[in-house]
Amino acid sequence: MSQREYHIVVLGAGGVGKSCLTAQFVQNVWIESYDPTIEDSYRKQIEVDGKQCILEILDTAGTEQFTAMRELYMKSGQGFLLVFSITSLSSLTELHELRDQIVRIKDDPQVPLVIVGNKSDLDDERVVSRARAFAVSQSWGNVHYYETSARRRANVDEAFVDLCRQIIRKDAATSTIRDMERGSRRQRDRPSHRHRTHHHRGHRGRSQRPQGISCSIL
Amino acid sequence: MSVVVMPPMTRTSTSSSSSYVAVSRQNTISSHDGRSARQSKRYSTALYLSMSAKEKDLEIEDDLARAQKIQRDYKAKISSQSKKNFVLEKDVRYLDSRIALLIQNRMALEEQNEVASHLEEASDLQEGFFPNDEKTQKYGNLLFMLQSEPRHIAHLCRLVTMAEIDSLLQTVMFTIYGNQYESREEHLLLTMFQSVLTYQFDHTQEYSSLLRANTPVSRMMTTYTRRGPGQSYLKVVLQEKINSLIELKDVDLEINPLKVYTSMIAKIEEDTGSVPEYLPKAVTAEQAAENEQVQAIIAPRLKMLMDIATSFLETIIEGLDETPYGIRWICKQIRSLSKRKYPDAGDQTICTLIGGFFFLRFINPAIVTPRSYMLIDDTPSEHPRRTLTLVAKMLQNLANKPSYAKEPYMAKLQPFIQQNKERVNRFMLDLCEVQDFYESLEMDNYVALSKKDLGLSITLNEVYATHALLEKHSAALARDDNSHLGVILQDLGPAPAQLPRKENRAINLPLFSKWETAIDDMTAALDITQEEVFFMEAKATFVQILRSLPTSSSVARRPLRLDRVAEAAATLKNDAVMVRKGIRSMELLSQLQDLGVIDRSDGFALLRDEVEQELVHLGSLKEKVLEETKKLEEVFRTIRDHNTYLHGQLETYKSYLHNVRSQSEGKSRKQQKQQVLGPYKFTHQQLEKEGVIQKSNVPDNRRANIFFNFTSPLPGTFVISLHYKGRNRGLLELDLKLDDLLEMQKDNQEALDLEYVQFNVPKVLALLNKRFARKKGW
Ligand SMILES: Nc1nc2c(ncn2[C@@H]2O[C@H](COP(=O)(O)OP(=O)(O)O)[C@@H](O)[C@H]2O)c(=O)[nH]1
Ligand SMILES: [Mg+2]
Repeated sequence: MSQREYHIVVLGAGGVGKSCLTAQFVQNVWIESYDPTIEDSYRKQIEVDGKQCILEILDTAGTEQFTAMRELYMKSGQGFLLVFSITSLSSLTELHELRDQIVRIKDDPQVPLVIVGNKSDLDDERVVSRARAFAVSQSWGNVHYYETSARRRANVDEAFVDLCRQIIRKDAATSTIRDMERGSRRQRDRPSHRHRTHHHRGHRGRSQRPQGISCSIL
Repeated sequence: MSVVVMPPMTRTSTSSSSSYVAVSRQNTISSHDGRSARQSKRYSTALYLSMSAKEKDLEIEDDLARAQKIQRDYKAKISSQSKKNFVLEKDVRYLDSRIALLIQNRMALEEQNEVASHLEEASDLQEGFFPNDEKTQKYGNLLFMLQSEPRHIAHLCRLVTMAEIDSLLQTVMFTIYGNQYESREEHLLLTMFQSVLTYQFDHTQEYSSLLRANTPVSRMMTTYTRRGPGQSYLKVVLQEKINSLIELKDVDLEINPLKVYTSMIAKIEEDTGSVPEYLPKAVTAEQAAENEQVQAIIAPRLKMLMDIATSFLETIIEGLDETPYGIRWICKQIRSLSKRKYPDAGDQTICTLIGGFFFLRFINPAIVTPRSYMLIDDTPSEHPRRTLTLVAKMLQNLANKPSYAKEPYMAKLQPFIQQNKERVNRFMLDLCEVQDFYESLEMDNYVALSKKDLGLSITLNEVYATHALLEKHSAALARDDNSHLGVILQDLGPAPAQLPRKENRAINLPLFSKWETAIDDMTAALDITQEEVFFMEAKATFVQILRSLPTSSSVARRPLRLDRVAEAAATLKNDAVMVRKGIRSMELLSQLQDLGVIDRSDGFALLRDEVEQELVHLGSLKEKVLEETKKLEEVFRTIRDHNTYLHGQLETYKSYLHNVRSQSEGKSRKQQKQQVLGPYKFTHQQLEKEGVIQKSNVPDNRRANIFFNFTSPLPGTFVISLHYKGRNRGLLELDLKLDDLLEMQKDNQEALDLEYVQFNVPKVLALLNKRFARKKGW
């Protein structure tokens, strides 16, 4: 069986530790330098529940001036690691906007996602309580919440693996549906207005929006 | 046409720091030896003119004045247009967040209605007044204080939440300090920045997290860099480079070995139908990097990337003088704050932090997403986009200490870092070399106070929102109830609620201070002597006379003979103003002679030289003004285009919302028969003219026979069919859902393919909007 490839996007405010987390996960190194990210990509092969998969991980710019790039990431990503720092309340607040945007672009409130509260080693500088972060994760429909420390490499793998699992499950579910519908259903990611046959109008279940641009040569 | 001479503040250039700082003292620089004691206190003609309230007398009409008038108009237009855009952007952001809820079906009907009302009001505000004079006075006093004492707003900026900052910034950056080209307002705004930055440095523990987070301060910086001067700079320095890169649509400069390997395999498979055994599909980054073919592909790309990045860097470095004063000044603050906080910090540390502002927040965002900075018209295609991202990464690496642990392949670009590291550090330190503006600020404040009619154009809701924020944070802002701010706030009472958009009004609020009275006697205020004032007036008057006389006039010959100039003006026929000026200048000459300031026997050399220098300066000023006006014109055009783009976004949302609403309405009243609209017929030619058809494969001689029918069987659903004259059946039929079109538009997918022709998505939307708008939505 060929290995599946999954796209993960790491999002969150500037300076919360997205790059450090990613570097820890992918390369097992702790990076300490003032090095704001613009866009870095990584690849890692891991085994999840006995299955090999390849992860394409995109580490993004947290700086708000780069917001215009987000939309593209969100389109290409299948799972999202939303990172904040437990030492900054506003970094948690910023996640709401990101999540809203993901849901809008993916048109799917159940998109694979984990919330990560990083810098857990700085407990004496903590301003976001577990309870508070947990409340957010609940309000998003029981999204999983992890507290990590990139510095101590605590909980890093757990967060990423959880996300992988979600993506794998989702992927399996959609392929089943796809098989059932035998390709008659338009794929959301690539509106294919060039299709020449009339599409079967299967309802998508999660959205009331009608679908389908179809074009037929008469 | 006649114009008033510009006050000194508006004479400043948009970008050039040197002319910016020279504002109040440009003429002191041309001092003569031996008279320095007096000259250190000499101020510019322009300052004098602005102090003098007798503006009517100062009307001059020459080429310079006309050029300046045009320039001023552009500046005003840019200021007001960028405010409009800011407001629109806010609306778009708001709707962006609402749309997510709509998709999740989580929005209650009432909220849908609210969102709709958000969209429906007229965008142009009506003029209005405060309900009563007392309010006008009190708010006039409050706003005067906020404008002249930036510390209050600076303090407020640190207290507000991210949710509150937008409304505050709108008022602060586009209204209170909204004149983007007036140095006084600019300086006050920068003073506010300084206070906020200082606070941030004082309250950040670790150097590594300095200036990294998104805070009200960073939002402030973004907003600031996007005002007129920052926008001009990006245009002048980057636009051409970016555009020429974008044109190379097919040039792939990917250097990530994995990606290169993958596309190489794909290409081999496409070309030969299979992939040889020795090239496995899945490889590790190391394997990909070791592959010789991959290396061969990457090597020339590295060179090209380094060449491109170097050329970007060179334009940026050459653009030092174009860099807006305010941006450089912020760099300077970062430098001095870093030095204060980390006394042992070397240049590298300081440059890292400056780079964290200049490159990370100003230059690189524009390079990676040029469209949102209005530098290009269309979203770049894949390859150029990646190239731009790589260039930005290289520039950022140059500013910071890159860690190649992250992406090992970037290490191949090290030669670029080595060759340019020192250069870029020097550049960043050079950026900091601008003068402070304390002196001129102080001066400008006097000038402001001496103006009798200081006013602010502001909306009621801006006033109320600012009031509400001040009230909310009053405990921290006015700890002492007897502070001026405390007194005013108490006086004002509770802040009124925001008015519905329809009732919001633009008002002209006269500003004044309850505590300070306008300065009548400038000499006392500025601590200058009577002879200074006479000297300044004399110089100003002679300059005016000479600017008004034809250049061919015999008295305009150098060296000037001031007594003759005065006489020529005083005896001019049919020009009472000139005659008055002539007489006045004669008086001034003799008064200054009596005071021993100038000497008739050396031809009033002291005054004469200064007048001549001023004229030379003004002559070259005209060139500068013309040149700058050209840039402003372009900036204005861009900002206006951006406005159109934003309106388009809003339209998109509007239609989407209407669509959702009419559908849920449809659901609740299923029985109601839906009326089919159309078909409406359009010819090929018509649609081509309107830009709906952006590309056509139909041969020219056949086009006349092609037509289209548009029908809407249900709200939000359309059928477009393509017909050939004389044939019964259509050639092609297209089923369209409105929301899919909207989605395409959001995704910047502009082409809708119909085999024979290609439609332009936004134009199709506009057409459908016009034709099929049902009473309640589509
Ligand atoms: N104490 C602590 N510091 C961290 C941790 N993760 C990141 N940092 C620091 O936070 C700063 C920003 O990290 P970075 O990964 O660049 O943030 P990003 O902007 O989200 O990518 C760096 O100085 C890191 O050293 C962590 O788990 N604990
Ligand atoms: Mg990062």
